[in-house]
Amino acid sequence: MWSILSVAAALVYAAAVSAVSTAGNRLLVVLDDVAEKDLYSQFLGDLTARGYDVSYETPRSEGLALFHLGERKYDHLLFLPSKVKGLGPNLTPSHLVNFVNADGNILVAQTSTVPSSTSIVGFLSELDISLPVERTGTVVDHFNYDVRSAAESHDVLVVEGPINIRPGLKPYFEIEGGVVAFPHAVGHVLGSGPLLSPVVRASATAYSYNPKEQAEVLDADDLFAAGQQLSLLSVFQARNSARVTVLGSAELLQNKWFEAVVGKPGGNSFRTDNQEFAKRVSGWAFQEIGVLRVNSIEHKLQESDELNPGIYRIKNDVSYNISLSEWSWDKWVPFTLPQDDVLQLEFSMLSPFHRLNLARRRTTGDAAVYGISFTLPDQHGIFNFKVNYKRPFLTNIEEKNTVSVRHFAHDEWPRSFVISGAWPWISGIGATVSGFVGFCAIWMYSKPVGKKN
Amino acid sequence: MRFSVASAVLALASVASAASSWTFAEGTVKVASKSGNDAVEKFDGTARVRNTLTLGHQDKLKVTVVTKDGSKAKRPHQAFLVVKESITGLEAPFPLAVKESGKGSVEISQKDLPSQLLLSDSPLSASLIIASFGSSQGSVTPVFDFNVKRDPGATVEVPEKPLRYGKLAEIHHIFRADPKNPPVIISLVFSIAVLATVPALFIGWFALGGNFNHAQKALGNAPISHAVFFGSIIAMEGVFFLYYTQWNLFQALPAIGVVGVTAFLSGNKALGEVQRRRLAGER
Repeated sequence: MWSILSVAAALVYAAAVSAVSTAGNRLLVVLDDVAEKDLYSQFLGDLTARGYDVSYETPRSEGLALFHLGERKYDHLLFLPSKVKGLGPNLTPSHLVNFVNADGNILVAQTSTVPSSTSIVGFLSELDISLPVERTGTVVDHFNYDVRSAAESHDVLVVEGPINIRPGLKPYFEIEGGVVAFPHAVGHVLGSGPLLSPVVRASATAYSYNPKEQAEVLDADDLFAAGQQLSLLSVFQARNSARVTVLGSAELLQNKWFEAVVGKPGGNSFRTDNQEFAKRVSGWAFQEIGVLRVNSIEHKLQESDELNPGIYRIKNDVSYNISLSEWSWDKWVPFTLPQDDVLQLEFSMLSPFHRLNLARRRTTGDAAVYGISFTLPDQHGIFNFKVNYKRPFLTNIEEKNTVSVRHFAHDEWPRSFVISGAWPWISGIGATVSGFVGFCAIWMYSKPVGKKN
Repeated sequence: MRFSVASAVLALASVASAASSWTFAEGTVKVASKSGNDAVEKFDGTARVRNTLTLGHQDKLKVTVVTKDGSKAKRPHQAFLVVKESITGLEAPFPLAVKESGKGSVEISQKDLPSQLLLSDSPLSASLIIASFGSSQGSVTPVFDFNVKRDPGATVEVPEKPLRYGKLAEIHHIFRADPKNPPVIISLVFSIAVLATVPALFIGWFALGGNFNHAQKALGNAPISHAVFFGSIIAMEGVFFLYYTQWNLFQALPAIGVVGVTAFLSGNKALGEVQRRRLAGER
């Protein structure tokens, strides 16, 4: 019995260790002093336990390079706060952008106790994320702070149960009834691009100020941002599905906040859910959740068995099926749509002729099949079956299957005798034919009138 | 974020008695107008302005307060006038310039308002947030509402709606209408009218003296060629009928060839016989 159990345990452990992101497991942590990692030991230990191969470098180290012979050396980058002003020649904003372009994921964690590095500021501005001027700013909220640790300074924000800001998104970052502490957070402001999405925003009463220069008075003209314009955690997903996550509070990841007890003024005290939240943030950032895979696409004539033919006729009845899986931490699972969201198929030539909501047809162990049957438009040409599913938090799906749609062949039209409007004309032909035959007979066999024979 | 404001207000209410709290006094809102919207209203922590003010395009709205920590006039770190659009919930903060003595003021004109608020049709509500570091409780107080009266001559630049990934409206192709037939009864009437010409034609021919009386004679003179020739004329119509109903061109052409050659050969003889009758004066 014990041997079976231990074998099972070993298998589970092996599965757990091998379970890691779809994008690879090489993680580089950039931090000021390698010794600093002890502050984050639980978080980094969680990452190692999930199967990451974690390397540590300081910005000053000589051998630090993101690429080797044109290939990425790491799959993921984690920036912890660093006191150096710039991150050196190997981590310039353009290097970081190249890293994202090469499908690398980046998680940037900041803290208001240290000014952000110019490389990070430059990199984030490439993504249309602005940080406070002078790279320094802390978010305070005099209404939702932790009374235990920041009774005077109000800079440990208590966020209750992070919930999605927009409807129709996967609840990856939602912790119902949970409390997350954001100590010494740097707020950032997002541009209006579609690739950016805020995950945690500051509350309406929060604002950002520079503790060095605006400790006494906050000049009206120098306010960086206030209220919900301030984001504490934002995500960016590039067109190639590489992910950049900006976390305003690096201390959120530290051991001491993982299970700290926090309380709002006048409220109860709660144990923070920072550990769970950190797991989800890092899991999303490094593509352990929210990664979609298209297993197969099938389209066919409804009454035919031939799969994916290259040509159809106008007004054919066609069925389309797409099989999708979603990577969830350590396995592929059937992809379920977020609430209030739909998967849509476009049948398009230049512009969509049809845009139809797909229904879930069936589910297998690791895949869900979405499909629909519809009638092709009465327009011939080169068309695409196109599924363009781009949503915040999920990797992009853009699948295009090109088919020709031909006209009716000459023998596929209805015959003239079933068209009632054609009957007089058909009768005309009949009359002509019988008249001709009758004329032939009379011409050949008629006896002259009036002649006696 | 109404929720958080509400919860903040709740929290405020629950501990109002515990510590000192930030309040304000001598709240005044003044609209300096060139188009007759002038108004001066007073408000405090418990009494908000009841009238809805109007901010014209050349007007200025000035809010002055004296902030207090407990009962002592003092400068807080956060003194914001937050203008909120009620439908979208969008908020714009306007920090007050507060002196050491607690006297604070802020001036808003239309150009300070973001376009989303400027374009709002419903009244904007302004509330005052006063809070600072330490244990004193902050306060969020709704103070007044105001309407924005835009310059009818000026065009406000409406910001383009940013692209957001999400579901799109369904599109169903609108098919062209099927071709329509006239009422069947009309087609039938005309068909019968057309077919009725056949008997009419024959009656006409017979009336003019047409007949088949020489059929016997012709068959007697050249029985095979007449039968085959007339048969091939009918067979040719049969081929056309089959071509119409089921054959394709490649099935029809050989049949036409066979029937045509037959008609030619037999026709030579049959029409020769007809010619002989004509020469004999029998036609």
